[in-house]
Amino acid sequence: MKANTKKHTSGELAEALVYPVTLTPAQKKEAASQLAAARKKAQEKMNDKNKLALQLLQLKFQVQDYIESKKYDIEKHFGYFLKQYIEILELKRKAFAEDISIDETMLSQLINMHRTPPDYISIRLELHSNNIIPADYWFKLIEKQKEHKIKTDQTLRDKEKKFVHKTAIGL
Amino acid sequence: MATRRQRPVIVNIAEDEDFKVLSEKRYSFNWKSFKKTTTVYKLRIEKENDILGVMGIVDIPAEKRVEIKLLATSIENIGSNKVYDRVAGCLIAYACRIAITNYGMDACISLVPKTQLIKHYMQKYHMLNAGRQLFLEGHALFLLMREYIE
Repeated sequence: MKANTKKHTSGELAEALVYPVTLTPAQKKEAASQLAAARKKAQEKMNDKNKLALQLLQLKFQVQDYIESKKYDIEKHFGYFLKQYIEILELKRKAFAEDISIDETMLSQLINMHRTPPDYISIRLELHSNNIIPADYWFKLIEKQKEHKIKTDQTLRDKEKKFVHKTAIGL
Repeated sequence: MATRRQRPVIVNIAEDEDFKVLSEKRYSFNWKSFKKTTTVYKLRIEKENDILGVMGIVDIPAEKRVEIKLLATSIENIGSNKVYDRVAGCLIAYACRIAITNYGMDACISLVPKTQLIKHYMQKYHMLNAGRQLFLEGHALFLLMREYIE
């Protein structure tokens, strides 16, 4: 038996359903202009704190989607998302490095992936973002890159081959 | 997300197989008929297969907006004796998540409500009134996200 409009109160229905509603072309036009006007007002009311929080959430979801996807993207490393984070905050690198007590050279190395981020950096980034982007997200970005490297590094395989004298099934 | 205790849930795009179980009897609408015009998402408890709620959305990049065309919780989750609470709220929050991921601070979600349900959507989900449509944007969007998504 589908939802019964007589059996349930309108409050209960609103908590469970959004009914498909078809509008006429004229109603659609009116609805579009009403919404555009209301959105404009809402945007004007939005303060900088809300804007920043939404931008940080956007970054959080982009990181989450990437670490949960099976795809590896060479561009999307720890440093790429760290750079995005600093850009959202509109901070100079020097100021941001000071915020998290590292020197600017180290920050550049992290952004350009010339240095593997130590664990404490993920923690400091979590704290800096007011917990919006958790430490394990940053950590998983590093892990994802490491996982790709270990899976695909033929040079390392060639180098290590000489140290393995016997194999499990002796072939 | 439960009447007594919280359970972690997962929202995914509904696959062809899912439409075989999305009956009008249990999910209020003929979901197959919205398969081509909307992207249909299903909500279920982590590691369980039973679908507790379904939502059909349309992404409108030109307006930086996601429109919820229809949504239904399964029949046993409607009314005072429902098994799980907050199913619809979690789905609406997921639509917000999609909008924020795509459009950041300009993100908006909207729906065209039945007249008699307007005030309830506004009370329950912080929705703002735009005449024929209700919407979430800015602070209101952030409030809903905080309430439903960790």
